[in-house]
Amino acid sequence: MTIEKSRMQKRIRGIKELFSRAWKRRPVFRAGVVIALTLLFMAILGPFIAPYPSEGWGIPPATSRGAQPPSPEHPFGTDAAGRDILSRILIGAGMALFQIAVVVSVSLAIGLLVGSVAAYYGGVMEKILNYFTETFMAFPAIIVALALNSLFGRGLMVVLLSLIITWWSWYARIAYVNARSTREMEYVLLAELSGLPRYRILFRHILPNISTPVIVQAITDTGSVLLEAASINFLGLGLPTDYPDWGVLVQNGFNYIYSYPWISLIPGAFILVAALGLSMLGDSLREEMDPRLRRRWRLWF
Amino acid sequence: MPVSLNYVVKRTVWALLVIIGVIVFSYIFLYLAPGDPAYIWAGRPRGVNATIAIMNARRELGLDKPLPVQILLFIKNVFTGNMGVSIEYKQPVSVIIWRGLTATLELLIIAYLIGVSLGVLLGIYSALKRNTRLDHGLQVLAITLANAPSFWLAIGLIVALAYLTGFTGYGRVDTRLAIATGFRPITGFYLLDSLIEGNIPVFIDVLLRILPPAIIVATYPLGLGIRMARALIAETLGEEYVKAAIAWGVKRRTVIWRYAFKGTIPSLTQVLGLAFAYSLVDAMIVEIVFGREGLGSLAYHIIGKSDFPLVIGLMITVTAFYIIVNTLADILQAMIDPRVRL
Repeated sequence: MTIEKSRMQKRIRGIKELFSRAWKRRPVFRAGVVIALTLLFMAILGPFIAPYPSEGWGIPPATSRGAQPPSPEHPFGTDAAGRDILSRILIGAGMALFQIAVVVSVSLAIGLLVGSVAAYYGGVMEKILNYFTETFMAFPAIIVALALNSLFGRGLMVVLLSLIITWWSWYARIAYVNARSTREMEYVLLAELSGLPRYRILFRHILPNISTPVIVQAITDTGSVLLEAASINFLGLGLPTDYPDWGVLVQNGFNYIYSYPWISLIPGAFILVAALGLSMLGDSLREEMDPRLRRRWRLWF
Repeated sequence: MPVSLNYVVKRTVWALLVIIGVIVFSYIFLYLAPGDPAYIWAGRPRGVNATIAIMNARRELGLDKPLPVQILLFIKNVFTGNMGVSIEYKQPVSVIIWRGLTATLELLIIAYLIGVSLGVLLGIYSALKRNTRLDHGLQVLAITLANAPSFWLAIGLIVALAYLTGFTGYGRVDTRLAIATGFRPITGFYLLDSLIEGNIPVFIDVLLRILPPAIIVATYPLGLGIRMARALIAETLGEEYVKAAIAWGVKRRTVIWRYAFKGTIPSLTQVLGLAFAYSLVDAMIVEIVFGREGLGSLAYHIIGKSDFPLVIGLMITVTAFYIIVNTLADILQAMIDPRVRL
């Protein structure tokens, strides 16, 4: 029990240490953290600080003002139905984070399990699971979203499912590679000799030891997931037209780009900054984690 | 050549297996969907001819046979280029997709010619000037370009071009000009076709129209190229053989190109090959925004129209493209990298 506890603490300290080291040494990481925290702040407080909450949720104002350029009243202007774009962006931040969180965590769980089972059990299981991993790596999320859309119509499920279907395989690959080397460790052999059942070894000895690189990869991926989800929503495959999602907001202005370009351009800039911040966060963490990369970076800078 | 035939065969067989897996998955997808597969395959028909359409679909898919036989039949059909008839376009799926694929590939190839060459050059420059303000600036630019949503960049470029030059003509070629000069597509790659026919006005028109979307698609390889080339070159510049060459007094230009850059080509090939395969979807989205014909517009026009044969055809095509390009990049990398022996 105590051994178990100390191992848990050590693992958590591993990630914590990684964070504090990156924070001390990397300005890029600090910038990423600031952007990510701002995003979180917007997601939590968005519905409360939005100046026009009902318009933010998609209800057009009673007296339609039409599309207005940015003004003190509407810092980012209004869309074609007269809705305040700032409010829509603030409320949309929550949806952006929700999509990222669900997609990354579910794919992470599937990927970790598939990858480590393939590496630890070996044999036919390994072959079959790797074949599946490789096959699903080839599917682009947007095309899967198109197929799901043609079967079920629009909806949040289309976005989440299509991204999960295509994303888990990347984590499975990383988990597999790391678990392969962990399998050869002596403590795994010792655990086997002491007669622990295999699934316990998998959960107690393999999974905790491969989770750090996979989690860091997941943090790096959050930006890409945001971009892909935004693309799916922009194409009109996912969330419905009135929903305050950032991708949908860009879509809303797509028909008016010559006359009211701000409707599309401003929400798109938010997607860019958020995706940039999240991937800066992940990239610098990965460089900090990988000693080989770290050495290389020291050489350059 | 350090790569054995065995490796090439193994890799090809594996790629084929994965493509078959994709086809099987696509079929199971159709099968698991709520409702009668024949009904979905026929495009959810209504009206007098609905029964006939559904019966045709049933025969086409072989739904009266057991599931494994259906899947085998489906695989055979896909490999013989028979992917059914598009409900929306009323033409064979393979014909439509081929037409779209050439358009998208043309865009993608032009984009990668721009993005890769510029990206690698800037990356090398950045590595040589490492630790300067210029280097940091280039790296920030690179990570921004690689993370920018392409549909948004495309909208921005369209707006900027419209305000600055008033140019709003998009599409692949000016139809009137094409008719006036008697332009006829041969291969489907318009740039190539117009050159073959010696049709210079059409060539210039096609080039002008392809450049704006190509620049947007090029942002990803550009950003990736800057980052990758910088990382790899900076690493090789610290290698012993490069140091030795410098100590020997080899010319700076020769050290950079013949020593440092040459060593990074295999890794660059692999990474950019993977990016090329990945960018197909990116090119499709940019096409939609620019209103060009191609795979993207094909997909965009059938959203919400339940044209299932075309959806499945697109899924198989795009995925197979990814697998094939990826396999080719791997084999190419193994062929040109003297350190890899497989």
